[in-house]
Amino acid sequence: MQDIPSSTLLVLVPLLPLVGAILTVALGRTLGSRAHVPAIVGIAASAAVAVTLLFGMVRQVAVGNSAAQQGQQVQPVEMVTTLWEWADIPNAQAAGGTTAASFLIPVALRLDPLTATLLVIITCVGLLVAIYSIGYMHGDPGYPRFFALFSMFVFSMTMLVAASNFLLVYVFWEAVGACSYLLIGFWFTKPEAAKAAKKAFLVNRVGDFGLAVATFLLWMTYGTLNFHDTVLSDGTAVPGILGVTRLADASGYVGGAVGSAICLLLLLAACGKSAQLPLHVWLPDAMEGPTPASALIHAATMVTAGIYLIARSGPLFVACPGALTLVSIVGATTALIAALIGTVQNDLKRVLAYSTISQLGYMFASLGTGTLLGFSAAIFHLVTHAFFKALLFLGAGSVMHSMGGVIDMRRFGGLRRVMPVTAVTFLVGSLALAGVAPFAGFFSKDEILASLHSRGWPDTHGEHQEAVPAGGHAMTAGSFRLVSVTPDASRLAGGDRGSRLDALNQPATWRLLFWMSLVTAGLTAFYTFRAVFMTFTGPTRVPEQAGHHAHGAAGSAAHESPPVMTIPLVILAVASAVSGWWLFSTHGLATFLAATPSFTAPSIASTATPPVFHWDLAIQGTLAAAAGIVVAALGHLGKRSDGPQMERFLGPLETLFANRFYFDQIYAGLIVKPLEFVATLAALIDRYLIDGTVDLVARLPLALGGLVRHLQSGLVQRYALAGVIGMLLIVLALVARAMG
Amino acid sequence: MNGFSPSAHLILTITAPLVGAVVAWVLGARGVSAVRQSAAVSAVVTLGLAGWLIVRYLGDPAAASGLPYALVEMPWLTEGIFDVKLSLGLDGLSLWMFGLAALLSVTAVFVSWDAIKDRPVGFYVLLLVLETAMLGVFAARDVILFYTCFEFTLVPLFFLIGIWGHDDRRRAASKFFIYTLTGSVFTFLGLLAIVLWNASHTGTVTFDIEALTDAMKIHPLPMSAEGGWLQMIVFLALLAGFAVKVPIVPFHTWLPLAHVEAPTGGSVDLAGVLLKLGIYGFLRFSMPMLPEATALAAPWLFGLGVVGIIYGALVALVQTDLKRLIAYSSVSHMGYIVMGLFALTPVATEGANLQLINHGLSSAGLFALVGMIYERFHTRNIASLGGIASKSPWLTVLFMLFTFSSIGLPGLNGFVGEFMILAGSFQRAWAGVAPAWQTAYLVMSLLAVVGVVLGAWYMLWAVERVFFGGSREPPRSHGHGGHDAHHAHGSHGGHAPTAHDRCDLRWHELAALLPLAVFAIWIGLTPATFLRPAAQAVRESTQASSEAFAARMRLTNPAAHVAQAPTP
Repeated sequence: MQDIPSSTLLVLVPLLPLVGAILTVALGRTLGSRAHVPAIVGIAASAAVAVTLLFGMVRQVAVGNSAAQQGQQVQPVEMVTTLWEWADIPNAQAAGGTTAASFLIPVALRLDPLTATLLVIITCVGLLVAIYSIGYMHGDPGYPRFFALFSMFVFSMTMLVAASNFLLVYVFWEAVGACSYLLIGFWFTKPEAAKAAKKAFLVNRVGDFGLAVATFLLWMTYGTLNFHDTVLSDGTAVPGILGVTRLADASGYVGGAVGSAICLLLLLAACGKSAQLPLHVWLPDAMEGPTPASALIHAATMVTAGIYLIARSGPLFVACPGALTLVSIVGATTALIAALIGTVQNDLKRVLAYSTISQLGYMFASLGTGTLLGFSAAIFHLVTHAFFKALLFLGAGSVMHSMGGVIDMRRFGGLRRVMPVTAVTFLVGSLALAGVAPFAGFFSKDEILASLHSRGWPDTHGEHQEAVPAGGHAMTAGSFRLVSVTPDASRLAGGDRGSRLDALNQPATWRLLFWMSLVTAGLTAFYTFRAVFMTFTGPTRVPEQAGHHAHGAAGSAAHESPPVMTIPLVILAVASAVSGWWLFSTHGLATFLAATPSFTAPSIASTATPPVFHWDLAIQGTLAAAAGIVVAALGHLGKRSDGPQMERFLGPLETLFANRFYFDQIYAGLIVKPLEFVATLAALIDRYLIDGTVDLVARLPLALGGLVRHLQSGLVQRYALAGVIGMLLIVLALVARAMG
Repeated sequence: MNGFSPSAHLILTITAPLVGAVVAWVLGARGVSAVRQSAAVSAVVTLGLAGWLIVRYLGDPAAASGLPYALVEMPWLTEGIFDVKLSLGLDGLSLWMFGLAALLSVTAVFVSWDAIKDRPVGFYVLLLVLETAMLGVFAARDVILFYTCFEFTLVPLFFLIGIWGHDDRRRAASKFFIYTLTGSVFTFLGLLAIVLWNASHTGTVTFDIEALTDAMKIHPLPMSAEGGWLQMIVFLALLAGFAVKVPIVPFHTWLPLAHVEAPTGGSVDLAGVLLKLGIYGFLRFSMPMLPEATALAAPWLFGLGVVGIIYGALVALVQTDLKRLIAYSSVSHMGYIVMGLFALTPVATEGANLQLINHGLSSAGLFALVGMIYERFHTRNIASLGGIASKSPWLTVLFMLFTFSSIGLPGLNGFVGEFMILAGSFQRAWAGVAPAWQTAYLVMSLLAVVGVVLGAWYMLWAVERVFFGGSREPPRSHGHGGHDAHHAHGSHGGHAPTAHDRCDLRWHELAALLPLAVFAIWIGLTPATFLRPAAQAVRESTQASSEAFAARMRLTNPAAHVAQAPTP
């Protein structure tokens, strides 16, 4: 593939799954039980291309970095290829007044370290989940439909992270939502699935509202929607919102009320897609979909789109410290609340769903620090989380597959004897999720804690001061935006001239967020191992539904899943075990990501820190995890999972957690019911007031018409005739006047 | 192609359905299938001619620079001060609507294939006459011809609803006819006033739209107390007809009734083409000819557009009849178009103009599908339906496609227009209005985006109840003579999927829907292809109003000019 230009390769990454999807639709019925072939071939080829691109990008970054060692700044690396013009309304200047923003939307794809990383994650995890689905979805009447939607999702998701334009991001932002809708509602005959699908789409639409309005504001503020710099046909250069020209300009980003509004709207969008408070309510219900879809879409990839959006828009957020702090606040709060809810769930998939919400909250908390460490830690955690959460979901799916569709943990126990491969790989995933060294989650979580810690206790992270490049002081003074681009937390807190929100940005806030995250780490370990112990330890118990699933005798009914399902589990388990250590020890990912254009903005690049292993934080994190595991072991190790649980000691809190903090009820009471009431009212007004008035007005001439009823003509004809005659008379009168 | 002038091509296209109507009449004695086949042939031929004409237009250099194409002028009365001609032609404003009318006529014929058994001759003749009227109204370049066709679209539809409609068809037909006729009588008076105003200045009575537009630039209708606010009065007269036609809330109540009672073919033409006449009228007459009045009314119509979006969506939410729900969704979607048109920024107006086509495709598709559901299950009551996805997968797929198009899912056509309208409205709110108006404009724009959420809510809720869930086993289709015959035929021909084909789409239904689906995807992927040919014309139509609006916004800025601020 060396000879093919990388722009072609970049187009192939989304194109191949798209072709796979189209072929599956076209040939699905013909292929029958082999309907997975186009999808898997397409995604596999796409994954191969993505890996090739990643290696090429790594080489390019290495070349750039070796050049940079003589100089000072990390050079941004990006490649953009434009396919066609989606819309071009040049110089959309309304006469007199409005801004002269052109509406030029190219269908442009980009490649940079961030995109390359995510493309590999999406396609590789996608491939493993697709292979697993061959076993999991075997015999389902909707088998071709599943693989068509699955490929379509991979296409949309790769386009989302490769798009180089906010409008295009919006396009695929909604497209992945549509794929998610169709996959959650895959078993559409189940009313719960149909409801959950609609709920997911609508809650996401609320987030999309934010993205749409943010896009409009961005267009009017920056005069373009492109990420990259473009040159128009008449030779005018338009600096893109996240292009190298604007990034190099220290005052290139708007702060203040407008900047904060844009960032808050982007945050709303991210909260929708990434299931953060208060828009998290759709994700647990989304578990009604097939488990492989949950694994890929609702754990590993689609829900990380919000992380991607905020990371990509990093320079915009850093210009608005208040909005940035709010990202962390939302993230850490979501992490804590979701973890609390997760401690009392008895549905294995829901435990994992709340865990996903919680882990995404971690990533948000990390992003909100606005430091290079924070951004790269979020992406690092995104990568490791993709591995271990996909693994856990697929493990849960394996259990469900074997248990005849039952997923209530209280109905089984001791499954490690029944399905050893699933049990071991699930344990690996759990260790990674709980943040036990040396599994993947440990390293990424450590970096997140470190990024929060550095904002809470800036003095103990003295290296930050040293890391400020000379260029940081060369920026023109006087602009309030400059305040926000300096890394020093105390000066950040002072930069509240832009927005009242900036008052949130205090070291005390960050300290609180750090402690919340540490507590969450302990809770994570607890609910994860509670699930492990309830499912895989204790006396062996298998629900009777398992017998219906298997064809053999009742005794041999429950069994390990077929190799086509367990091999992806093993591969993901290996990745969950070693990826964290490998990526951390080589510091490869962080160095690589630093060359992403968005992260080379002086405001972010100047916060670069040398790679350090924070022993103190690692010990705190490990102690929290250990505490969680020990408590879980005391309550659940080796016990029957249907007995009274230790969580009952939480008292009323347990009710609160079990009812998921009553979010659904609050939304139903505050939004859905009132709106339905208003809608009913509107329908009544429509029928009686508006239409009634119309009928009343119409009756007046009818009453008059009664006087001439003897004309014996039909109602309408009479009107038509009267109209025509009347018009003719008026015409004649006017013509006469005009002539005279 | 050489010997075939564009003008002749245009005339042939417009008259082709009439020829088809005559043929259908003659073949009437041979029974239903001969009639419907001849109607289908003439609709398809007309579509072919129209498509070919559009391709020729797009390849023509004169047309590319915004000049009208395929001009036809027939002198009618050119004595003395009269200069009356019947003239036809296409330009950027009418191009796509012309094509849409031809496309939807094919859909209208194919959706009626099995549904219309009673008096088929009359039905298809009226459908084809309606097509000629629709093609004529968009090709008309003079007021007389425009208004004649404008009114003449009513008559066939009146009979289509009144004879082949459902239970309450007579009331629906009368209401539809009287309401729209009453409005359009005022429109006609307004148009006449323009003609006469021009005549009193130039001494020539001309009905030529282009000449009138140019003349109104030189001696506009007075827009002041001394002149009797004549321009505003004429604007309101035109508005009376156009607002009912669109319809703009609160002049919409004829629409749900007419749709619910109309036969499917009538609904397709009504939703797809006839509603667009109001917007087309604004673009063709009000905005270029009456710019100051348009500028004065723009904020209020912009606001009514937003009211329509929210109101239509809310009322749609609680409908129990699927067809009624889609009719109210039309009210909501036409609200977006009104809003975009009166935002008076290029992005918004071009988006609104494109959205005419987009809504034509998606609403026609949805109405056609509701008709197909009704044929199968004999009910449109959402509560009685359920689980159709298991029985009719391809019907469901297409319904989902048009639903997604309707709720503005990116990648499909609806998104393009909706997004451009909203972007242009925000642009107007952000930097194009006087400070006193800014908050109101921002709030209205935000509410319009809320409408996007509501739109997804009522459509997906309907989809959930009608298509998903367990099968409700509503009464199944029976008594269709051609049904079983087709079943046998279908399994040989392989048109329909074999597993469920008793209930799934048949070939003529696919023929009705697939072209719409193709365009829905095509416009969604490369909207520039469809925006470019219309851009120049839309900009010219709206420029005068846009400039007048900008001037007015400076006047109403209290800091600049306190005394001049009128209170409409």
